[in-house]
Formats: sequence, C-alpha cells, structure tokens
Amino acid sequence: MRIFDPHIHMTSRTTDDYERMAAAGVRAVVEPAFWLGQPRTNPGSFIDYFDSLVGWEPFRASQFGIRHHATIALNPKEANDPRCREVLPVLPRYLEKDGVVAVGEVGYDSMTPEEDEVFAAQLALAVEHELPVLVHTPHRDKARGTKRSLAVVAESGIDPGRVVIDHLNEVTVGLVRDTGCWLAFSIYPDTKMSPPRMVRILREYGTERMLVNSAADWGRSDPLLTRATADAMLAAGFTEDDVDQVMWRNPVQFYGQSGRLDLSDVAEKEASFAGNSILRGGG
Amino acid sequence: MTLRFGYGTNGFANHRLRDALAVIADLGYRGVALTLDHDHLDPFGPDLARRTAEVASMLDRLGLAVVIETGARYLLDPWRKHAPTLLDDDPTLRVQFLRRAVRVGADLGAEAVSFWSGVPPAGVTGGPADPAGDATGAASATGGPADVSGGSAGPAGGPDGAKFWDRLVRGCAEIVEVAADLGVTLGFEPEPGMLVADIAGWRRLYEDLGSPPGFGITLDIGHCQCLEPLPVPDCVRAVADHLVNVQIDDMRRGVHEHLEFGTGEIDFPPVLRALAEVGYPGLVAVELPRHSHAAPSVAAHSIAFLHQASIAAGLTGAGQTTSLGCEMTTLDELRAAVPTQGWLGEALDRVAGDPTAIERLFPAAGRRCGRGPLPGVPGWRTDEAARALLLAALPADRVAAGAEVLYRHGDSAEKLAVLKALPLLPIGDEAVPLLRDAIRTNDTRLVAAALGPYARHLDDAAWRQAVLKCVFMGIPLSAVDGLDDRADAELATMLAGLVAERTAAGRDMAPDALALLDRLKGA
Repeated sequence: MRIFDPHIHMTSRTTDDYERMAAAGVRAVVEPAFWLGQPRTNPGSFIDYFDSLVGWEPFRASQFGIRHHATIALNPKEANDPRCREVLPVLPRYLEKDGVVAVGEVGYDSMTPEEDEVFAAQLALAVEHELPVLVHTPHRDKARGTKRSLAVVAESGIDPGRVVIDHLNEVTVGLVRDTGCWLAFSIYPDTKMSPPRMVRILREYGTERMLVNSAADWGRSDPLLTRATADAMLAAGFTEDDVDQVMWRNPVQFYGQSGRLDLSDVAEKEASFAGNSILRGGG
Repeated sequence: MTLRFGYGTNGFANHRLRDALAVIADLGYRGVALTLDHDHLDPFGPDLARRTAEVASMLDRLGLAVVIETGARYLLDPWRKHAPTLLDDDPTLRVQFLRRAVRVGADLGAEAVSFWSGVPPAGVTGGPADPAGDATGAASATGGPADVSGGSAGPAGGPDGAKFWDRLVRGCAEIVEVAADLGVTLGFEPEPGMLVADIAGWRRLYEDLGSPPGFGITLDIGHCQCLEPLPVPDCVRAVADHLVNVQIDDMRRGVHEHLEFGTGEIDFPPVLRALAEVGYPGLVAVELPRHSHAAPSVAAHSIAFLHQASIAAGLTGAGQTTSLGCEMTTLDELRAAVPTQGWLGEALDRVAGDPTAIERLFPAAGRRCGRGPLPGVPGWRTDEAARALLLAALPADRVAAGAEVLYRHGDSAEKLAVLKALPLLPIGDEAVPLLRDAIRTNDTRLVAAALGPYARHLDDAAWRQAVLKCVFMGIPLSAVDGLDDRADAELATMLAGLVAERTAAGRDMAPDALALLDRLKGA
C-alpha cells in the first residue's frame, strides 16, 4: 500500500513518526504552512519557518525515504495580526520554489475583514504563480465558513478544480461536492473525522476528488490515521484500487497540477511481494 | 585547457559492460573507448538497435563520452585472432563489422570510430608479422627492436605488398563512404606489426584515399615510444591536424607491450602538454588490454597518475584538483554541456540585461532544465550547471551579492548550486560567510558541497572543524577538495581524539578517516 498524506505538519513531529509512517506505507507528504501554536510576532519568524519547509524538513523526510513538499501562505489566524501581514510581500519568493506545490493554508479562522482581504490576495497569488490552493475551513461556525470560502473562491476566478476545501465533515461535505472543488478530510482525534466516519462518507459520496489526511501537528494527533483509514476502507469492502485512488492517485493528481510534484523513486506501484513487507516493517 | 581522460573497455573484458562503465565513471574518467566485443555490445547479436540505445542511455546517465574501438580479438573468427582483416582474400566479414561499428558509433554519438589495417602474411612488410604476438597490444617473449623496426610497407613491399595495399585502400574507401554518410569521424590507427605500423604509413594511406575529410588518425602514445623516429611529444604535434582519437599507455622502445604508467620509458607531462598545446579536444583513453584481471585497481592508479602528470604539465593547478583527482570543472565546460537553447538561453540574456530577473529565474531552473546528471561533467547535475551559468551571467560587480541573496533565499537545491558555483565565480573570498553557514547546517549535502575547491578560502581552524564534521556525519572524505594537501598535524590530533571516543564507545570509525589518520601519522 502506498500512502500520500496531503496535509501533515512534520515540523512538529519526531523521527519516530517518520519511521513509523514509512513502515506504514507513507511515501510522500505535503506540509502546509500554518500557525505554530505559539503566535508569531514578526515576518522573520515566518521566513525561517518557510525556509525550513523548503530546506531542512524535506532533508529530514528524505532520511526515511519519504518525499516532502510544502504549501506556503500566511495562515488565516495570523492574518489578523498586522505584524504578521508584513510577510505577504515575501510570499512570491517561496511560491517559485520547486518544493512548493500549492498556496495554503488560506481561508477563514474568525471570518474577519482582515481574513477576507488576505484570503483574496493569496488566491490572486495562486493564479499568478500557477499553483493550486489549499483552503482551511474554520473550527467554529464551520458551515457558514465553508460557504463563505466557496463564495470567495468563485469570485476569485480560479478554476475550482485547482482548489481543495479541507477539514470537511458530515455537515459540510454536501456543500462542496458539486462545486468542482476537491474535498479533503482530516482524520484527527476528537475535533475532526475518524476512520469509521470517513468510510461512511466515502461510501455515500464516492472516491472521486476525495483526499484523506492526518493533519497531524503539535496537538494530540496521529500521523498513522491515514493508514488506519485505508485499513478501515478495506475492511468495509473497498477494493485496493479504491484505496490507492484515495490515498495516492487523488493527492498526486491534485498537487500534480502545480507541475512541481517530484515523486521519482517513490512513486512506482508497490510490488506485490518483497517491497510490501519491507515497507510495513514486517507488520 | 584540461584534457579529458577515458579508459578502454578492452581493459575491462571480465566486467559486464554496464558494470565497467559504472566503475570507469565512478573513478572520474570522462569517457570510454568502447571495444565492440562478444560481451560488450556485440554488433552481431540480436536487437543491436535496442542494446545500443541502452548503452547510449547508460553513457548519458554516467556523463561519459565515447569512441568506438574495433580491435576485438575473436569476434569474427573463433580460431584466428583479428581475422579476417581488410587484407584478407575475403574481407567481407571485416567490412560488415566496420560498417556496423560506424552505425553504432553514429547511434552513440561517438567522437570517433577507430580501426586498423591488420597484419599481412609474413614476409610482406619486410618485418615479422605481429611481432608482439598481439598487434593490439601485448607482451612478446621475442620482443626486441628488430621486431617492430620494419615500419609500414606501403606499396613498396613487393608485388604482394602492392596487392595488400590495394585491398587496404579499397576497404578503407568503402568505410570512409559509410562514415561520411552518417557523419561519423574515423580514426585510423597505426599499429606496430601491421601493414600500417606508423605515422608515415598513415600519411601514405591518407593520400592514397584522396585525403578525405572524415579520415583522421588514432594515435597510441605507447606506440610512438615503441617505433616512431620522433620524440613522443613531437609525434603529437606532427599529426595534430588529423588527430581524432588518442590512446595512452606506457611502453619501451622497440617492445610492443602496453604497460601501466610509470613502468615504461615515457615521460608523460611533456606529452600531455603537447596534447593541450595543439588544442586536441578528444578523449585520451587509457589502453591496457592485458590488465582486465585487475581492471578497477589499474584504472584507479591510471587516472591518479594522469592527474598528477597533468599537474606536473601545468595543465591544472594542484589546488584545483579534487581529492578524487578530477580537474575542477570550468564555466566553459558547463556552457558546452548544458543546452542553452530555449529557456536557459533566454534566461541568461534576461539576467545579463536585468540582474534582478535572476531572483525568479534561479528557483525555476530545476523544473525548466531538468535535474539529471550533466553529460560529460561528472559530479554536476543539469540544474546546478544552469544555476551556475545564471550566476555567472550577472554583471561582475553584482555576482558576489547575487550569490549571497540566492543562497540566503534558496531552497536546498539552490543553496547547493550556489556552493558548487562559488569556485567558478569572480568573487575572491567574499562568499566565505556562505560556506560557514552551510557547514553549520545538519544537511550532509550542504556540508559536503561547502568543502569543494572554494574551501581554500576557509581559515585552517574552520576547515579542520569541517573535515571532522564530515567524519562525524558520515560524509565520505572524497568530498573534501585537496584533503591531503591541507591535512596537518592538528587535524591528526583531532581525528585521533575522535577515534579514541569511538573506540571507548565500541563504535566504528569510517575507513577513509582511519586511512587519512594513517597517512598523517606516516608523514
């Protein structure tokens, strides 16, 4: 089984996680730029973080045979801080990097006018730099936040096929299904989706344009929930091809629209014999 | 200029071709003289086109240039070595073979296809046939000056001599025509004991063929020592206008035996200097066909010898030699190796006109130009070369500042490219802070790249710490440019300290570090 985790914050994870992920079949990850738990107070703090996302973190991942790409943006929460908004002029530099495959996470946290402005400005950057966009939907007031995000996306003129709406759930999935945008679900303890609920959504809405991620970060989270969801899919009667579509081909297709996704060496379809057990670490 | 050294696959007869090519490339050779043989791209085997394409892709991947050699011993006749030749009553098979060799050469983009006349039956040349027992290079128990003093027969070898000469001219003319059609350069090699044994014989043949433009000479440096009247460097100068292929090996006067460097009589630095002075652009390929039993070690010693000889000849400074013995790459070599049509050409023009344009072009070079190994320039990838050229395209007074900004703002690949480009740029020691930054990182690629030729600008203390860090991080010491020139007693003390810690902890020390320590202790 090959797994592409399209949203995981590896900066907050240890090498033990990388080891277990590789053993579970994770071969590629995308790490979206987001907030760090501790608020930032100046653009330099972002710059070092972005540098790490295109430098140190991919190197760390490569030690475990995992390909690492990033998405770059000013996140919605910190868009409200004028000291942080000064990072906006620096973004174009990073949006040209080979390892950057989308603009993100953008979207709403509290749906303030500042967030409106920064969201729209970054959608325009995505168009200019020919990159897809990863849209975070808010924890609070999620349904209205999702609708408003879809409206801003539509207004921006970007092709909805180049946009993924993330952190969806049973309540918001229906809002996005027919918009042409991609749908992403975070399998994250307590606050987001769980493997059994994810399987029910896949059963109802199908596997097309569906992405599943762990969104694992500095909070109580689990980078192996992608694998757990894949196993739950198989147990529920989905075929291995269905699993491959959701866990590998869909994220490859979505981020591949950047023209910068480099999966040489990790992309080949898994061999049906030796490679399998090695990747699973005998598990 | 620097010479490009290659190695003959006939000295790797006990290796699969793919393995031989990999070893040759890994040792730092930049080309191969590929002898088509039963186990090395057999021109009479099935699927020749597909196998040729595979070899082309291997060569490309390894960054090796190629010339084709046709001296296989038993490829055409399992009983008679080299038979038939162009001198035979029925040369059909030889002609067919050479036609195929030319075709393979065209398909591989070979710089030359080399062949020889063959040994006429005894008595024809006025000298014994194949005196050394192996006209393409071997020892002979009977070897002595008389064996090879006969020179080339030419038309003056009596009635039989004229007959063989006519056959040779006819055969060559046919191959010349085939090669011209395919745009392939021919190198005809004088070979002691053969009908055309020396440069004078080649000249007669060239004239009798009507001086065709695609018909050059393959010069074996050892052969010159063996039987030419002129000193070896003068031989090089004498044929400079026609020189398309060079084989190199040591030899003694009058004995046609291909010897490892340093075991014959040739003084090599003047020979290499002559090759450089006449601007010879082709491969200089080691020809040791009787050394296959120890090929990797002979090939390793050979390139080390040739690089030392290059330094002695003043062709490359000692400080510009990597510890692997490779010459430092130049911008001109990168320019020649990277296709500058299309995106890169336009990007270079834009940067020359507007230096700020580089900030957006530099990060894009990887996806625009590709990231594969750069053909012909070992150790460089295409994106790195493209980025080095972009930096070099900046106005001279902007290069240092440009390198700094692009490094500071770069992702790992961009940082690597800047570090590799530093020794090629007119920036003096201004970029030392970038090296210090790279050496502070925990990224093995950046640390290794920081210890290239530009590290000569690092002070001794920083350099020693960096070398020790390589050992600590498991970076092979071959990454450190000029290691043995600069390693000193203080580094030995530091290494010994690390060995003591590792020993106390029951851990291993990298063999290359132990070897360095041994060398330092012995010094």
